[in-house]
Amino acid sequence: MTGMNIYAYAIIDSIVQFDDCITGMEGNIVFNIPYRDIGVVVSKFGEKIQNVTKDHVLKHEEVVEKLMRRFTVLPIRFLTQFSHEEDVLLMMQAFYNDFRENLDRVRNKVEFGVKIIWSGVKVNNHTMVACRKSDTSIRFLGSSPSRSFVKEKFEKYKAHKEFGEEVERYVSLIDDFFSRFAVEKKLEKLKTDKLLLAASYLVEKERQEDFKDAFKRARKTLGDLKFLLSGPWPPYNFVVLSRKTDMYDKKSPCWNISSEGEI
Amino acid sequence: MTMDRVVETDFPQDFVEEIEKVQGALPGRIDANPQNVERGLAKLVLTLVELIRKLLEKQAMRRIDAGSLTEEEIERVGETLMRLENKIHELKVIFGLEDDELNINLGPLGDLM
Repeated sequence: MTGMNIYAYAIIDSIVQFDDCITGMEGNIVFNIPYRDIGVVVSKFGEKIQNVTKDHVLKHEEVVEKLMRRFTVLPIRFLTQFSHEEDVLLMMQAFYNDFRENLDRVRNKVEFGVKIIWSGVKVNNHTMVACRKSDTSIRFLGSSPSRSFVKEKFEKYKAHKEFGEEVERYVSLIDDFFSRFAVEKKLEKLKTDKLLLAASYLVEKERQEDFKDAFKRARKTLGDLKFLLSGPWPPYNFVVLSRKTDMYDKKSPCWNISSEGEI
Repeated sequence: MTMDRVVETDFPQDFVEEIEKVQGALPGRIDANPQNVERGLAKLVLTLVELIRKLLEKQAMRRIDAGSLTEEEIERVGETLMRLENKIHELKVIFGLEDDELNINLGPLGDLM
């Protein structure tokens, strides 16, 4: 198969070949390249994909979803392409232990995403006003420019501190609804002023309904927030590679494996 | 989407806007072409100076909050921080830099400041 271009979708915990016909990029048949007791699911393609379309994205996702129904899956980053099968096997050889450990960790688990929007500006303004009203002036007697400067900075510092505490309080309140049904979680706070929380939860497959019910309860209880639930996804945010992948870029520029998140 | 996947929200447009904001934050680069290499370097250096200034300011505020600075020390800290802020402001004007330009996007880690 030397000289063949290969598009990779996922690592799976199986070496079986597929009985049913799964089509991948450009309508080509998807197949499994086994390495020891795991496999990398790929399809052939003619030219390297240069102009990415929505169809490419959906096709990649569709293949990963189909695999997810039958296997434990480590999703490979969109547009990961290899020039030769030897390169695929080199990658499997280099990362076998990582892949094996991750497959064991995420077996029978799926990922859910929870995003929360709040009125961050409103909360921030409220804390600013509250801090101005509080009795900080006692500490800053005198009216020199440097005193006034420090007083203003101190009020901002206090407001920022209280805002941070408010963020933590809300996040803890929200997370409490979900974390009891998850085995792992990743919480990102305030990625934008409004996006209070972008969370990913790794949930055992049999607890999916419990997790969805928790979402309903949280949405009902915390009515002043805007909620979004998505999933079940492959465990995009829970694949952890212990090794850097940079060194492989020189060997094969098309390798595109991240050391965090999806492979 | 296939499977039993759900995307459940009453406010889809709000989330689309916020996700676009997050995805739009591409890592910043130093624009080092011959025409504006000075400005590019000044931006980088001033960003780092601004980071250090903010760290100093935060540490000073923590100490004031904890009550561990005397009146004289607060006076001196105020004087120092004020001069430092003014000097950085002068340099920003010289190189034509705005406040929101003094930052570095660290990709998945977010903004430096």
